[in-house]
Amino acid sequence: MTSIPRSVSALRLPPVLAGYLTALSRGLLALLLPLGLLLLWQLIAEQQWISPQLLPPPTQVLDSLLELYSSGELASNLGISLARVLWGFAAGSAAGLLLGVAMGLSPRVEAYLLPTFKAISLVPVIGWVPLFILFVGIEESLKVLVIAKAVMVPVAINAMKGIRNVPVGFFEVARLYRFSLWRTVRKVVLPAALPSLANGLRLGLSNAWMALVAVELLASSEGIGYLMVYGRQLFQLDLVMATMVVIGVVGLVLDQGLQLLERHLLTWRNSAY
Amino acid sequence: MISLTRRLFLAGLALAVVAPSFAADLPKVIRLGSPLVGTGNRPVGAGNSFANAQIKGLLEQEFQKDGIKIEWNNFRGAGPALNEAVANGLLDVFWEGDLPAIIGKSGGLKTKLLLANGRSSNLYLAVPPDSPVKSLDDLKGKKVAVFKGTAVQLAAGKVYAKHGLSERDFKSINMDTATGNAALTTKDVDAVWSSSNILSLEDRGVARVVYSTRKDPQAQSLNMQGYVFTTEEFEKKYPEVVQRIVNVLVKEAAWASDDKNRNALFQLWAKSGTPFSAFKRDAEGISQKEVQSPLLDEYFVALVRNSVTEAQKLKLLRGNLDVQGWFEPKYLNNALKSQGLDNYWKPLDAKGNAKL
Amino acid sequence: MSQNISKFDPRGLVVPLLLIALWWASAHWGWADTRLVVPPLDVVAYAREQFVSGELALGLVASLARDLAGFAIGAGAGLVIGALLALSPLTDRLAGPSLHAVKQVALFAWIPLISVWFGQGEPAKLVFIALATFYPVLFNTYEGIKSVRRELAEVTRVFGFGRRQTLLRLVLPAASPQIFAGLHLGLIYSWLGTIGAEYYLKVAPGVSTPLIDGREHFEMARVLYGMVLIGLVGALLNAVATRLEQRTLRWRPR
Repeated sequence: MTSIPRSVSALRLPPVLAGYLTALSRGLLALLLPLGLLLLWQLIAEQQWISPQLLPPPTQVLDSLLELYSSGELASNLGISLARVLWGFAAGSAAGLLLGVAMGLSPRVEAYLLPTFKAISLVPVIGWVPLFILFVGIEESLKVLVIAKAVMVPVAINAMKGIRNVPVGFFEVARLYRFSLWRTVRKVVLPAALPSLANGLRLGLSNAWMALVAVELLASSEGIGYLMVYGRQLFQLDLVMATMVVIGVVGLVLDQGLQLLERHLLTWRNSAY
Repeated sequence: MISLTRRLFLAGLALAVVAPSFAADLPKVIRLGSPLVGTGNRPVGAGNSFANAQIKGLLEQEFQKDGIKIEWNNFRGAGPALNEAVANGLLDVFWEGDLPAIIGKSGGLKTKLLLANGRSSNLYLAVPPDSPVKSLDDLKGKKVAVFKGTAVQLAAGKVYAKHGLSERDFKSINMDTATGNAALTTKDVDAVWSSSNILSLEDRGVARVVYSTRKDPQAQSLNMQGYVFTTEEFEKKYPEVVQRIVNVLVKEAAWASDDKNRNALFQLWAKSGTPFSAFKRDAEGISQKEVQSPLLDEYFVALVRNSVTEAQKLKLLRGNLDVQGWFEPKYLNNALKSQGLDNYWKPLDAKGNAKL
Repeated sequence: MSQNISKFDPRGLVVPLLLIALWWASAHWGWADTRLVVPPLDVVAYAREQFVSGELALGLVASLARDLAGFAIGAGAGLVIGALLALSPLTDRLAGPSLHAVKQVALFAWIPLISVWFGQGEPAKLVFIALATFYPVLFNTYEGIKSVRRELAEVTRVFGFGRRQTLLRLVLPAASPQIFAGLHLGLIYSWLGTIGAEYYLKVAPGVSTPLIDGREHFEMARVLYGMVLIGLVGALLNAVATRLEQRTLRWRPR
């Protein structure tokens, strides 16, 4: 932990530069393992210790990725997948917020709905797929429904928790000022419950991405999950791996994007007080 | 001291000479693979002598006296799953349809093609019985289930091309056979491409065939072919075992080719869950002798080449494939000779005409 | 969650009962597609049939064994690696970012690769379940130990504890609530992984079989039975984990 920064400061560099160097050294250290693994992987592939059908060389995965990109297949399939996630996320978070806020505000609503809600959330999303298929078929509505279900649960639970944790005093103040329900929600509840809400939305989004891949693997003629299945059917594991990389990067971007948004919103909240 | 070392050395030498020949002659188990499953995922195929061998237990009989275990693996994931098993080194001898075999070979699987095994399986396109669809064109833009990566996909691609269409004109959804059939009965898809096993659904009144290659004059160039393979490793290690397997398959192919066994053959295949009547309908007017011919003649080579070219056109294949180096006709020829079947099946030239 | 179990509120039953009544009514008077809406009693009948024929026990045992084996592998790896990363900053810097990066790949995206590498049978299923369990356990173990170390750093210095002593007598006990929370979460994920593995890999006895068959044969009763079964087992696992967690942590001075 200490050896690198110490040696840097021994050179008596200006602190800003030293900070950069520390960050750089950390970055390099973090790259060591992946680079080493990559080299080992290339070596294994070149020496054919594992047959290339099971472990295609990293260069081939990269080629496959570039080809996906340049042929436009990546953009079109990713676009379809992202649209599905968007709709599913919108529907699921709207339903989740409504449910969560209602249950959070009113103990009566909670008493009536929470047990049912918990029962619904007990069955993992994959368990719902057959039922949904029987009801809506395998069209777009299936994908949206599955994603929405995956999003709704964490959003609702976190919304409820967030509201539950709003200090009672806040409500009393609102009552004192004779705020309407809507105004109470908007001016008092939402700002106070925001961190928990944001947390729920983030969890929801990451669930949405997972559910998308799950449902596209099952029955689809397009989308990023379908690309994987296709790569596998055609015995092109490099395509499968390239798609995994894409799924990982998109997952990261979605997560980081929402985190940025969250930070932005929270600073807004802080300045609002 | 010296004598002891020498004795040990000699014993070791003797062991070294004897042991490998002991081990190399006969494997403990022969792992066979087939992508064919019957209805309800029964591990039973139909349509070729390899499937016959499985149903009748012919290889079990052949190797029983040597105490060799026969292990059958039928993959619901069909050819693509079978290729993965081969890559994992889990299979020794296996049957495969044209597209997965070609994909596997061009993907670097070290396989040897031993004999043709079912040269021409008809392709069917079925819709729900109450569907208004009458022809291929009516399905444009609709959901069509096809098991991608299997021989069905390639044959469907050939049919599309012949009609000036392509997979992109439809919503082609990848589904394995059981899922595709289920999706048709629940109307989750508008149509499904399938082999003759769809006829059992037609018999039950839950599917209607709207197109088939059966009556196409060029049926053989559109239809699905099946081959029997072994891995290069297994062939090198156990050539005699390979020979005995080929002998059994060729003998069975001759039985299946004989018209007087036609009913018995279809009854045997009915064990896969597709009814007898369906096979009868499927094979109407078609000589089993042509379909079951194991020969690696010029016509067969042309068919394989054609499949490779079509697969390339459909972008299902990367790079090229040296078809000629893939065949190992030695075992087939031995089998034909030893069973006096030299002239039983007539070799055809590249155009499919009898060679004089 | 536990106080909700102890405090039973009949109002919670209203919605489910209404739903069942609606369901029964629409099946009875044929308000909707009869294939979609089967009478509730069909589900009960199917459940009884499964129970009597022993299919239920067979599937339950197979799934639970699978689940627990996968959980054990995944949780073990998560505990060891999580602790290693938290205790050794160098390992953390070396492997931490890579582990985070790999985590970004959505769980189900591993299915094709796993089935190519490990086949479609039991080993592949265990790998998938272990993977589902691994990350929640890893992160909670890591966070638990990390936060304790910061808090207790001073104390250990004052008492002059050695490394081993610090770890066994201070760090691990203090971090155990979060480690257990991670294990609990891991157990929930392992159940998701079990259902996923049974769904995507080779069909074998398990609790998901009624779901898969029911969908294929358009038998709603089977699908609903399967869902109830999966939900009940999930609830059971959750309850057991909660109980164990409470009991194990009881000794801790609060």
